[in-house]
Amino acid sequence: MIEIDEDKLILCPICAAVNIDKGKKNVCRRCASPIYHHRSFSTEKSWAFLITAMVAYIPANLYPMLVTSAFGTKDESTILGGVVMLWEHGSYPVAAIIFFASIVIPVMKFLILLYLLISVKYPIGKDKKVDKHKLYTMTEVIGPWSMIDVFVVAILAALIHLVNIEVLAGTAATAFAISVFFTLLAAHAFDETLIKENK
Amino acid sequence: MKLENEAALDNLIICYQCYTLHEEVPIKDGSKACCSECGGILYRYDTKLVDHGLALSITGLIFFVLANSFSLIQMDILGTKQFITIPKTILSLFENGFYLVGFLVGFLIFIFPLMIFLINILLFTLLKFKRGEKTTKELLILLAHIKPWSMADIFFISLLVALVKLVAFGQIHIGIAFWTLMVFVMY
Repeated sequence: MIEIDEDKLILCPICAAVNIDKGKKNVCRRCASPIYHHRSFSTEKSWAFLITAMVAYIPANLYPMLVTSAFGTKDESTILGGVVMLWEHGSYPVAAIIFFASIVIPVMKFLILLYLLISVKYPIGKDKKVDKHKLYTMTEVIGPWSMIDVFVVAILAALIHLVNIEVLAGTAATAFAISVFFTLLAAHAFDETLIKENK
Repeated sequence: MKLENEAALDNLIICYQCYTLHEEVPIKDGSKACCSECGGILYRYDTKLVDHGLALSITGLIFFVLANSFSLIQMDILGTKQFITIPKTILSLFENGFYLVGFLVGFLIFIFPLMIFLINILLFTLLKFKRGEKTTKELLILLAHIKPWSMADIFFISLLVALVKLVAFGQIHIGIAFWTLMVFVMY
């Protein structure tokens, strides 16, 4: 018979088995995956990915996302420019989807992850009744959807290849893809058990 | 809290959304257990899971092959016909020098979805014949790692967005692969 505290039970992130927290290094008893619990560098990995993503997001907004060359004239549009153009053309739903996928979701993810990373280290917002687990699950679910813009550009660039009219992806496509990729990594690297500890 | 030994931990379950501790209780066949705090699904019980899973993943794989071999969209602009397939979309990114994006997109919409179906088929076959417990375990772990990176469903929505954008350019014909992709995404 062993007696344990209910708070000492932790969840394996890979196979969802319940494990006993044995201190610094935990290995899942069912699937043998390590369960991270570093007291010394718990958030650094996630911070690094998040900062990379935020840096990559700057050129993603400044450089052109889509380069359309039709009959000799080159037309470059950034992410925001594309949204504005679509809105003016009257395709409101598409403009809204692109706006949400490439501006609202990434920025929201940055802010939520920043808030989570800061709040688990420093006692900010501890008194507030914010469900951090819900916030975290939300970022995991909505995160991949910001890839929409990259996919759309890939489809357009592959489809429209004529002598006179050509659509090419811009520099921002690479920057944006990197940014999304690193926010996903940052979210995965975030140690969920920290939320529980700091409640 | 008192426990007999470490194996007794298997009777406990932690909600993956809100981290509430639950005790596993037997439920009816075909039903599912939900978290009392947040309503997230904790576990299901289905005696025909293996058969259903195998059938669905083979169907999914067939549709995946179809979706990749036929044209997604065909377009008539200024008298010329152009069409794309999923592999062509990825390859054209490489041709234009976007190696990083091409690499990423290739993994997200081609390699990972394909791997998930293959792993699923292997898994259910192994489970059906009750063999290779160690391989099953390793495959399950691999599956858990890959699952968040498969973005075929997001690609489908992007396709819809691209279609709306293209309406202004010229005549569009939706290819066979468009429908098969739709079916494939649903699995």
